[in-house]
Amino acid sequence: MIFNIQRFSTHDGDGIRTVIFYKGCPLRCQWCSNPESQSFGYSVMYDKKKCNNFGDCIKAHNKAITRIINNGIQINRELINENEPEKLKNICASKALTISGESKSVDELLNEIEKDTLFYRDNGGVTLSGGEPLSQGDELKTLLQKLKGRNINVNIETSLHVNWSEVARCIGLVETFLIDLKHIDKDKLKSFTQGDAELVINNINKLTDSDAHVIVRIAVIPGFNHSEDEMKQMIEFVISLKNVNEIHFLPYHTYGVEKYKMLGIDYIFDHKKQVQDSELEPYIRYAQSKGLRTKIGG
Amino acid sequence: MHNQKDYELKLEVEMLIEKKPTTVSERILVLREKVLSTKPSVCTERAKFYTQIYQKNEDKPVIIKRALALEKTLKEMTIFIDDGELIVGNQSSKHRAAPVFPEYAVDWLPREMDELDKRPGDAFLITEEQKKELLEIAKWWKGKVLWDRGRALMSQELRDLQDSDIIKATGNLTSGDAHIAVDFYKILSVGLGGYLHEIKHYHQQVKRFEQEGVKKDHFYTALTVSIKAFQAFIRRYRELALSISKKEVNRKRKKELLLITDNCEIIAEKPPENFYQALQLTYFVQLVLQIESNGHSVSLGRMDQYLFPFYQNDKITGSISDDFASELLENMWIKLVSINKIRPWSHTRFSAGGPLYQNVTIGGQTTDGLDAVNDLSFLILDSVGKMKLTQPNLSVRFHKNINNNFMLECIRIIEKGFGMPSFNNDEIVIPGHIKIGVEPEDAYNYSAIGCIEIAVPGKWGYRCTGMSFLNLMRVLLASLYNGLDRQSGKVYKKGLGNFSGFNSFEDVFKAWQHQIKYYTRKTVEIDTAVDTALEENVPDILCSAFVDSCISRGKTIKEGGSKYDFISGLQVGIANLGNSLAAIKKLVFEEKKLSKEQLLSAIENNFEGKEGEKIRQLLLNFAPKYGNDDDYVDLLLRDAYMEFINELENYHTTRYNRGPIGCKYFAGTSSISANVPSGAVVPATPDGRKAFTPVAEGSSPSSGTDMLGPTAVFKSVSKLPTEKIMGGVLLNQKLSPAVIQKDSGKQKLISIIRTFFEDLKGWHVQYNIVSKETLLAAKKNPEKYRDLIVRIAGYSAFFTTLSPDTQDDIIARTEHSLNY
Repeated sequence: MIFNIQRFSTHDGDGIRTVIFYKGCPLRCQWCSNPESQSFGYSVMYDKKKCNNFGDCIKAHNKAITRIINNGIQINRELINENEPEKLKNICASKALTISGESKSVDELLNEIEKDTLFYRDNGGVTLSGGEPLSQGDELKTLLQKLKGRNINVNIETSLHVNWSEVARCIGLVETFLIDLKHIDKDKLKSFTQGDAELVINNINKLTDSDAHVIVRIAVIPGFNHSEDEMKQMIEFVISLKNVNEIHFLPYHTYGVEKYKMLGIDYIFDHKKQVQDSELEPYIRYAQSKGLRTKIGG
Repeated sequence: MHNQKDYELKLEVEMLIEKKPTTVSERILVLREKVLSTKPSVCTERAKFYTQIYQKNEDKPVIIKRALALEKTLKEMTIFIDDGELIVGNQSSKHRAAPVFPEYAVDWLPREMDELDKRPGDAFLITEEQKKELLEIAKWWKGKVLWDRGRALMSQELRDLQDSDIIKATGNLTSGDAHIAVDFYKILSVGLGGYLHEIKHYHQQVKRFEQEGVKKDHFYTALTVSIKAFQAFIRRYRELALSISKKEVNRKRKKELLLITDNCEIIAEKPPENFYQALQLTYFVQLVLQIESNGHSVSLGRMDQYLFPFYQNDKITGSISDDFASELLENMWIKLVSINKIRPWSHTRFSAGGPLYQNVTIGGQTTDGLDAVNDLSFLILDSVGKMKLTQPNLSVRFHKNINNNFMLECIRIIEKGFGMPSFNNDEIVIPGHIKIGVEPEDAYNYSAIGCIEIAVPGKWGYRCTGMSFLNLMRVLLASLYNGLDRQSGKVYKKGLGNFSGFNSFEDVFKAWQHQIKYYTRKTVEIDTAVDTALEENVPDILCSAFVDSCISRGKTIKEGGSKYDFISGLQVGIANLGNSLAAIKKLVFEEKKLSKEQLLSAIENNFEGKEGEKIRQLLLNFAPKYGNDDDYVDLLLRDAYMEFINELENYHTTRYNRGPIGCKYFAGTSSISANVPSGAVVPATPDGRKAFTPVAEGSSPSSGTDMLGPTAVFKSVSKLPTEKIMGGVLLNQKLSPAVIQKDSGKQKLISIIRTFFEDLKGWHVQYNIVSKETLLAAKKNPEKYRDLIVRIAGYSAFFTTLSPDTQDDIIARTEHSLNY
C-alpha cells in the first residue's frame, strides 16, 4: 500500500526523481514528519480548514463520525472497521475527509513511474520511500525486477529495520540504498521509537559488506541525537562501514505537525524547535575531516 | 558548540562569489531612479502636429499625410538630453509621457480623460490645459479615425459580437499593429543614406501610367520624406548635444557630449562605425517606429547577433571595455522604459502593467545550426539582470547544444525574481516554420516578438499574434444553451439543442464543434475588417521601409510588402475549456455524480448556497484537471482546440495573393493578462470556476489546479498540438526561490527545461520566482515595492502598477516547491 507518489522530487537521490511513499513502518519515530506513513492500513484524515459541513461523511458512518455544532466533525477512529475507510474514500466533496492509503499493483506503479521517464535523464529515476518500503513483501521485488528491465535507476530509502532477507533480495536491483540511520544507541532508539538498534546495525554491516552503494542519512533531531557526542559516535560508526563515503544530514522540521492534527494523533514531539542548517556545521566539519562527502537536506 | 556568526559570514562570502558583485555606475543608478520615479503622463505634441497636417492636407493620399505628419513631429517635437545620458532620444516631451495617436481612436479620450489619473493600474497624469487641447483635437477627428472605419467595415453581426465581448479586437482598432521586428542587420550595414539610394532606385522605375504606379509613386515619396525626417531628427540631437557641450563645465561629460555629437553626425547618414554608434542607431529606430505607430511589441530582434560584429571589432581594437559596453546597454534598457503608450481602459486591462513588450532575443543558433551564444549574449543577459526593469522583454532561444554555462547564467538572472529571461525553443520553432514554407536560413534567424510570439525579423508582417481575442468559455457555454449567449441574451448561431436534452457527451462535443466553427469564422471576418481599415487608414511608412521586400515591391506591409505573412489571434481560456469538458464527461455522463439539471442550475446560480458549493467542490476535486499529465482531460482539450484550428485552416489573410509567402492563420495562446478581463465577462463554468473570476492564462493550467509539479505540467502542455499553435504556447511557471538557491537546484531546473524542450518539444516557458509573502506585502505597501517586477504571461510589469484583480490572480497561482 502506498500513500503518495511524488513526481519531480529533488532531494531523495540524484537528479529528478519520482518518489513512491509506501505506507506502514515498524519504527514509529516520535518526530515522524509523515505520521500517515506509520500504519500499514488505511488512515482517516480530516482537514477542518477544508470542511464545508456537507455532512456526507456523517451519513456514511454515523457511528464513528459526529457533528460538532456548526464547526466540523469529530471522528472516533476506533469505531471504524478495517475495511470501512475504503467506502469513505470519495464521500467528501471538499476532500476535507480523505483516506490515506491506496493499493497499487506493480503495473500501476510502473505506469506512474514511467510518466516522468523523460525527465530522469542521466542520473534521475525512482526512489522507493515510506514508511518502510522493505516491509512491503514480495511485490516490491517484482517491481524492482521490472524497473531493472526498463533500465530505470532505483534508490531505496530505508531504516533497515527489517529482516535481513528483505534487504538481501534487493541487492543488485537497487542503484543506491539511502539508509536512514536514527541512532546507534540501543536504549535511546528504544525510548523514542519501536526500533531495535541491533537489527539495524547488523543489517547495515551486512549490506555494506556486499557491493551495494550506500549513503547514510541522519535526521538531526533535538533531544534525540542532536549533540556533538552522539553525532560523533554515529559518524565514527559510518566511517567504520565498508564502501560508505557519503553522509547526509537532514535537519529536524515541523512541517508534519498539521498531519498529526488531521489524523487525530497527539504530536508528543511538539514544541521542539526546527533545526537550522547552520547548527549542522560542526557535524559537517567533523564528517568531512574524516573523509566523508556531506550534504544538508539530501 | 559552534560559531553562528562565522558561519553566516562564510555563507555571505559564498553568495557574493556565486552571484558576482553587481556593479552599476552612479550615473546609471541615477538615470534608472529617474525613470522609475517619474509618473506616467500624457503628451499632446504628436497629436497636435498630426492634426495640423491632416487638416491642411485633406486632399492628399493618406500615405502622404502620414509622411508629412511624421516629418513635422520629428522636426518640431520637444527633444532633450538628460544629464549623464549616453544613449539619447526621447519619444515625447517628458520621460514616460505617452504621446496621443488621434488618428487611431479618439472617442475614448473625452470619455476617459477625467479618469486617467485614477485608473487602478496604469494611471496617467494629465493637466486641465491638455484636456482642453485634446477635446479640441478629438472634435475634429470624430468619425475620421481607424476605430470608426473599422467598425463601419463590419457587419452589424460582427459589431454585436465585438460588443458582446466574445470576440475582442479593440486593441487593433485603437492602437494598430506593431508586433514586429525590423531588419536591423540591413539598417546597420547600409545606414539611413543607403535606404534613400534604394528608394530612389525603385522610385525611378515607377510606371505612373498604371494605377498601381500611382500608388507606388506616393509610397516612394512618403518613404523619402520619412527617412529624411528621421535623419533630421537624429541631426537635432547632434545640434543639441553640441550646444549643451559648450556650456558643460565637467570635462568628462563635455567629452561624452562631443562623442554623442559625432555619433549622431555619422549615423544620420552612414552606417555606424562602432558598437556605441550601432546601439544608438538601434535605439533611434526603435524610438521612431513607436512615434510613427501606436502599436506595441515593437521588438529589437536578435540583438546579440547583429550588434556582435561591432562589439567584437571594438574589443579587438581595444576601443571598448566590457564595463562601458555594459553601461551603454544598461542606459539603453532605461531608455526603453521611458517610452510609453496610452490606451483606452478597455484595452489596457488586456495588457496589464502597461509595458510595451519591446523584446530582445539572445542565444539560439546560427544559420549553420551552431550555438550562437557569444560574449555579447552574456553581456546583454547580465546587464538586463542588473537593471531589473520591465523593459526589454528578454527572450533566450534555447536549443539542444546551447552553452550550459549560459543556461546557468540565465537561471541566475531568473533567480532575481523579475521573470526574465523567458525561453523559446528552437527545436520546435525552426522545423515548424520550415514545414510551412519559411526558408531555412530565415527560420534559423527567428526572434521573439513581444513576449513569446515569434517572427523572422525584417521579413515578417505585423501581428504574428494578437489579432482578435476569442473567449472560448463563452463559446462553450453557448454550446450548452442551444446557441444562446446568456451574457448578451442573444443567439449568434443557433445551436444543436440544450444541454438538458443531450444524451451523451458526444452531443456536447458536437454542439461545441458547431459553435466553434461559427466563431472561428467570425474571428477571421473581424480580423479582415480590421486589417482592411489598418491598411487604408494608418499605413506605416518607416516600418515598411525596414521590412523586406516592401521597398522593391513598392508596397506597405499591409498591402503585402513583407516576405512572410503568418498571423494569429488569441484564444483565451484554454485550460478552462479542457477542464469543463472533462468535468461534464466524467461527472455527468460517466459517473453520473451530477445530473445535467444540477450542473446547469449550479452554474446559473454561480454555485450559491450549500448545494451549489458542494457541486463546485465536486467539480474541483473529482474531475481531471489539465496540468496533471492526465490524458483524460489533456486529450479532450486537444481535440476541442483542434476543432478551432482545423476550421482556421480554411482562411487567408488580406495579403493573400498579393506577395507574401503564407498569408495563413495560426492558433495562439500568448494572451498576456487577458485572462483577467476575459474572465470578467464569463459567468460560472463547469470546471468549478466562479462567475467573472479570471480564466486560466495562456496555455498554463488553471490557478491552483496543477497538483503534481512542473514535470506533469510540462507533459500536459506538450500534448497540445504545439505545431499548429505557432502564435505561441505560453507557459508561466512559478517557483519558490528556495528551489534554485543552490547551483544543484539550478542544474535540476535546467535539466527539466531540457526535457521539456528537447524531448517534449515545448514552445516556451518562463519563471516567476517570487514568494507569496512578498506579493502580499507589495499589494499592501506599493510604495515600498516600487521596483518589484512580476511576470504575467510572457512579459513583465511592475507589480505595484497592476490592478488589484491581476495582483490577486498572480498571488493565487500555484507555487511549486522543490524543497520537500
